[in-house]
Amino acid sequence: MYNLMLKDLKLGVNPWFFAMPFMMGALMLVPDWLYLIVPMYFFWITVPNIFAQYRAQNDLLFTSMMPVTKPDMVKARIFVIVILELMHIGAAMIYGLFTIRLYPDLDYHFFAPHLGFWGLCFIMMAIYNLFLFPMFYKTAYKYGPAQLSAIAAAMVFAFAAQWTGLQSTYLSDRFNGSGSSHTAFQIAILAAGIVIFMAFTWIAYRISVRRFRQVEIR
Amino acid sequence: MLALDIRNLNKKYSNFQLKDVSFQLEKGFIMGFIGANGAGKTTTIKSILNMLHLDGGEIRILGKNMAEHEIELKQEIGFAFGDIDFYTRSRIKTLTDIVKKFYDHWDDEAYRNYLRRFKLDEKKKIVELSSGMKVKYSLALALSHGAKLLILDEPTSGLDPVARDDLLDIFQELVVDGEISILFSTHITSDLEKCADYITFIADGRIVNSAEKEEFKETYRLLSGSDSQLNLVKNRLISYKTNSFGFTGLIHAIDFDPASGIKATTPSLEEIMIYHAKKEAANV
Repeated sequence: MYNLMLKDLKLGVNPWFFAMPFMMGALMLVPDWLYLIVPMYFFWITVPNIFAQYRAQNDLLFTSMMPVTKPDMVKARIFVIVILELMHIGAAMIYGLFTIRLYPDLDYHFFAPHLGFWGLCFIMMAIYNLFLFPMFYKTAYKYGPAQLSAIAAAMVFAFAAQWTGLQSTYLSDRFNGSGSSHTAFQIAILAAGIVIFMAFTWIAYRISVRRFRQVEIR
Repeated sequence: MLALDIRNLNKKYSNFQLKDVSFQLEKGFIMGFIGANGAGKTTTIKSILNMLHLDGGEIRILGKNMAEHEIELKQEIGFAFGDIDFYTRSRIKTLTDIVKKFYDHWDDEAYRNYLRRFKLDEKKKIVELSSGMKVKYSLALALSHGAKLLILDEPTSGLDPVARDDLLDIFQELVVDGEISILFSTHITSDLEKCADYITFIADGRIVNSAEKEEFKETYRLLSGSDSQLNLVKNRLISYKTNSFGFTGLIHAIDFDPASGIKATTPSLEEIMIYHAKKEAANV
């Protein structure tokens, strides 16, 4: 599996996409922005390009001829995407720390980059993974419909969450406020987000493997 | 020992079917797998590599069942697809460094030797290689991980005659020690006249014949004669063509009576393929 992951990373991911988290993450420095958009650049730009690269280079046939199992092929691909997702969220978090210190008195209209916000980002990526991989592995070839559905689902969640935050002063205060009770709530949301991210990605893996076993390499 | 033992492969698609495909390749020989485009060569090859879900049949490679020992057997299979490229923007060195990690018996020294022998420059990108060099690179990879069975799908298509001849010489050298076996699909039958030991002929998803090359050709006769002679054998011919001088047609040797006085010669592989294709077309 490790060799497959190395193959997917080295051959399928242009080095530019390892720089993207640090470039797009810098958007976190825009004061009082709709920060949920920042991690979205990952699935708007990076993932479609990576999947296009695998398809253009006949990766499926290439990999299938080597001594590897189908579950390992799926696992490696998911790990690659998860690594990049974590890089995007991680880089944005670092910029978020600067944002909070750069503008200490800013009155945030949208979610501020506190811990709870990052929990929402993890849930957004979890939903994206849950839609993307199982749909893609129906064919292991057509990535367009899977991308569109996964992006739509993740964005619906993100904007619904933000809209709820805008409508509810209580929620807005909980997500944007400081103090120990707010921090505890935000840590809980972050922890829940990470758990949901892991669980959804695991479910996506299981469904993907089941579907990929049925796929013929034609 | 059999390098490849295919028994009763069946696979049905909406518009195409592999029907009871069976053939065997002895270890240390080259088998030419011939058939027109769309006859089922690539489908059979993908079935051998366990890429398709078969409706029936069994594949044994080097004595082991492919479905049960896929990963183990793929360590011993090398492949080359003449008309499909992989990771063309990568350099040879990059691709090799990745591929070699998958094989337990990778031999770096052997790889260096093959690079020298095939005049491959590691710094070159795949896209910069000619079609012949790409096949040689696939062979270098396969032979460096100790492949005992080489499955080559149209490896010579698109090559100029010099490059083709060069590759055919290499194939023959590889099987000399009796360790390596080659299944070589092509529709360029002249390549097989030069280097194949066995011929398997597939048409419309069925194996028409699988035999030692000369024996394969001897099972047919190419007849030529006048219009009146055509009427004597017409019903027994596989197919025939008429021209201003009379006819030429292909017949199974057992169906031909040498006493009939019709001129008969041993056909080439190409002629066998063409007349069979003509029969298929007539049956459509």
